[in-house]
Amino acid sequence: MHFTICSKEGVLGDMASELVIKNLHANIEGKPILRGVNLTINQGEIHALMGPNGSGKSTLSNVIMGNPQYEVTEGEIWFKGENILEYSPDRRARMGLFLAFQYPMSIPGVSVANFLRRALEAVREGNKPLEEGENPTGKMSKRKTIPPGEFRRLLQEKMKLLKVDNSFINRSINDGFSGGEKKRAEILQMALLQPEIALMDETDSGLDIDALRIVSESVNALTGPNLGVLLITHYQRMLDYIKPDFVHVMFHGRIIKSGGRDLALELEQKGYEWLRPQDSEEEVTADA
Amino acid sequence: MLNTLAPGFSRAAVEELSRHKGEPEWMLQLRLQAWETYETTEAPLGHRGDLGTLKTLANFKYQQLTPFVPASEQPLPSALDTSLQGSLVNERSGLIVQLNSSVVRTELNAELKEQGVILTDLETAVREYPELVREYFMTRCVPVGSSKYTALHAAFWSGGFFLYVPKGVEIEEPILAQVWMSDPLSAVFSHSLIIAEEQSSVRFVEEYDSLFEGDDPALLNDVVEVFAKREARVEFSNLQDLGQNVWNVTTKNATFDQDGSVTFVTADLGAKVNLTTIGAGMLGNGSQAELVGVFFTDYDQRYFINTLSDHAGLSTNAETMIKGVLTDTSRVEFDGMIRIRPKAQQTASFLAAHGLMLSKKARGEFIPGLEIAANDVSASHGATSGQIDENQLFYLMVRGIPRAEAERIIVQGFFEPVLQRIPLENLRIRLRRSIISRMSGVSAAEADTWVDAQERWEIEGVDENAIHLDGNPNDNDEIQLTEY
Repeated sequence: MHFTICSKEGVLGDMASELVIKNLHANIEGKPILRGVNLTINQGEIHALMGPNGSGKSTLSNVIMGNPQYEVTEGEIWFKGENILEYSPDRRARMGLFLAFQYPMSIPGVSVANFLRRALEAVREGNKPLEEGENPTGKMSKRKTIPPGEFRRLLQEKMKLLKVDNSFINRSINDGFSGGEKKRAEILQMALLQPEIALMDETDSGLDIDALRIVSESVNALTGPNLGVLLITHYQRMLDYIKPDFVHVMFHGRIIKSGGRDLALELEQKGYEWLRPQDSEEEVTADA
Repeated sequence: MLNTLAPGFSRAAVEELSRHKGEPEWMLQLRLQAWETYETTEAPLGHRGDLGTLKTLANFKYQQLTPFVPASEQPLPSALDTSLQGSLVNERSGLIVQLNSSVVRTELNAELKEQGVILTDLETAVREYPELVREYFMTRCVPVGSSKYTALHAAFWSGGFFLYVPKGVEIEEPILAQVWMSDPLSAVFSHSLIIAEEQSSVRFVEEYDSLFEGDDPALLNDVVEVFAKREARVEFSNLQDLGQNVWNVTTKNATFDQDGSVTFVTADLGAKVNLTTIGAGMLGNGSQAELVGVFFTDYDQRYFINTLSDHAGLSTNAETMIKGVLTDTSRVEFDGMIRIRPKAQQTASFLAAHGLMLSKKARGEFIPGLEIAANDVSASHGATSGQIDENQLFYLMVRGIPRAEAERIIVQGFFEPVLQRIPLENLRIRLRRSIISRMSGVSAAEADTWVDAQERWEIEGVDENAIHLDGNPNDNDEIQLTEY
C-alpha cells in the first residue's frame, strides 16, 4: 500500500497529491468518446480544459469520478499513487477527488444540511472501502458522526466565506434552485469537503455575468497550494476571473494542444477550428 | 366463557357465534343476511394482465381458519404492555385493545365519560346502544354488501371498537386502539365504528400487530367506519405492522355531513397479502377529506390499494397522497379513483400516488382514475412508479456517500413530503425508524440512534436563527445532546 500524507496546511513538494491520466479511452453505449487522454494535475495547480461541444470534456470528468454509464476500454487513472479505475465513485471522492456538476441533480426531500453532514462524515472516513462486498448494507453503525454544533460552525464559516445565504441549507438539494444557486451550492460543497483535486464541469454555463463573477470569486477563495483544479469550460470568459496555470484544448476525445494562459486568449480570438485535427472532419457531435 | 369455534366458515358457524354471544335477534339476522351475501357474491379477481393480488386473495384457503378465537383469561402477552410504553401516543384520552376475537382492555378518561363520550367494545354497544349500532353499523358507510370480504366480516365480526363523541366535545389527546393476533390459523374480524357528532373532534389511532411466527397463515379482515357529522373533525391513523404470515383485508370509509372533515393516515408495513380499500364519501356540502398513505414492502409481500374520493356535496375538497417503496420481489397495485358527482360543483380533488422500486424484481402498477360529472371542478391526478434514479445515486456517491447509504437517503427524501403530512409525531418517528432499518438492515436500536440524531437535527434546525455569526450560544447544550 502506498501512503501519501497530505495535511491541509501541509507544504507542497513530494507529498502533493497527483492525478495522472494515461492514454484514457472510454465509451458510452459502445460509442467511443475519449480516445487517448493524457493529463497530469498536481495539487495547487489550476488547469483549464477547453474545447468545442462534444469533444469529450464532460465525459472526462465523469470517467475520472467513475460514472458507471461510461466504460473505460483502455488506459489508467492514478491518484495519490493508486490506480483508481476499479474504485467506486464514493471511494474516489473519499480519496479527495471532487466533481462540480454541470447539471447538479435535485433530490427532493433531502435537505442540503443533512446531505452535507453525511457527505462530510463520509469524506472524513478517507480512502477505504465502506461497502464493496464486505459490508453490503452500508456503514452506518461504525461511522463517526460529526456533532451538529461542530458541523454548524464549519458550515457557517464556509457560507460566510462564499457569501451564501443561510436559507440555502434547509432547502431540498438543488430542488427549485436557480441555475446560479445550483452552481453556488456545488462550490459550497467543495468548500466544505476540501478536496485535493476538483473537477469543475462547465461551472460557468447558464450564469449571467454577475453570477459568474460571484461563483468565480468563490472558487478563487478556495484555490491555493492544497487544491488542484481542472476547470472545464467552453468559453474563455471564466478565465478572466480564475487564472489558470495551464490551458489544454480537447478535440475529438484527445488533448491536442496544451499551453499557458495565452492559449486561452488565442482561442478567444481564433475559435477552435484552426486546431481541428486532420482526422476529425465528421466529428463534433452532440454534447458528451 | 365462549369456546373456540371449529375451523371453517358456514351458516351454522354464524348461528353458533351469535348464540354464544347472546345477541339480539336483529344482529343474528344481520349476520345471516351477510352470510347469504357472502355466499352469493363473487370475489374480485382483478383484470387480465394485472399483478394477480386479488386472484391470490380469492384463492386463499379460508376454510382452514378458525373464525372465532376468544382471548384466554391468562395474563395478557407481555408484548402488549411493552407496546404501550413505547406507543404511538405519549398522552392518550383512552385505550381499547382487542386480542384475537375479544376486547381485553378498555380505558377512558373520566372527564370524557362525564361529557358523554362512549368508548366500548362493539359487543357491549350492541346490547347497550342498539339504536346507534343499528343505525350506523355497516349500513351507509361500509354497507354489508360492499364486497365479498365485507360480507364475510359482517357475518363473523367479533370484539370491535365503538366510539361515540357527543355534540361539541373536543377530545384533544388521541384515543389508542390496538388489534393483536396471537394464533396462527385464526381469522380475526375487528371493527371500528366511530361516530363524531356535530362540532366534535377526535383523534383515533389504531395499530395492528401479530405475535406468532411460522408459516401457518392467519387472516385479519377489518372494517373501519367513520361518521363525521356537521363540522366534526376526525383524524384516523392506522399502523399495520402485521407479521408476513398474516393476510389482511381492510376496508375503511368515512361518511361526511356538511363541513365535516376526516384525515386518514395509513402506514402499511406488514402482512403477506394486503387488500386495502379506503374511501371518503363526501355527501355534505363543504366537507373535506385527506388521505395520507405510506407503505414499504419487501420479500414477497403483495399489496392492492384502492382509494376513492367520492364527491357528492357542493364545494367538497379531497387530497390523496400515497407513497411507497417496493423491494425484493414484492408487488403493489394501486387503483385510485376521484369521482365527482353531478351536484358536486366547486369541488377540488387531488390524487398523487408514487411507488419507488429498489429491486429489479419488484413490480408496481399505479393507476389513477377520474370520473367527473360536474363542470365547475378542479381535479388532478398523477400516479407513477419507477426505479431509483441512477443519476441521483451518482450525485450522492460523488460526494463520498456509499451506494447503500445513498439509496437510503434518496428513499428518505422520497418519503419525507408524505411523512411531514402525518400529524402524529410518534408515528412519523416510528416510520422513519422502520424505513432506515429496512433500508440498511441494522438493528432497530441502531436505527433509533440514527433517527434520534436526525430528529434532533431537524428540531434544532439549521435555519437563519440558529446560525449566529458570533457563535451559537447554545453550543454547549448541543454538544451534550449529541452524546447519545
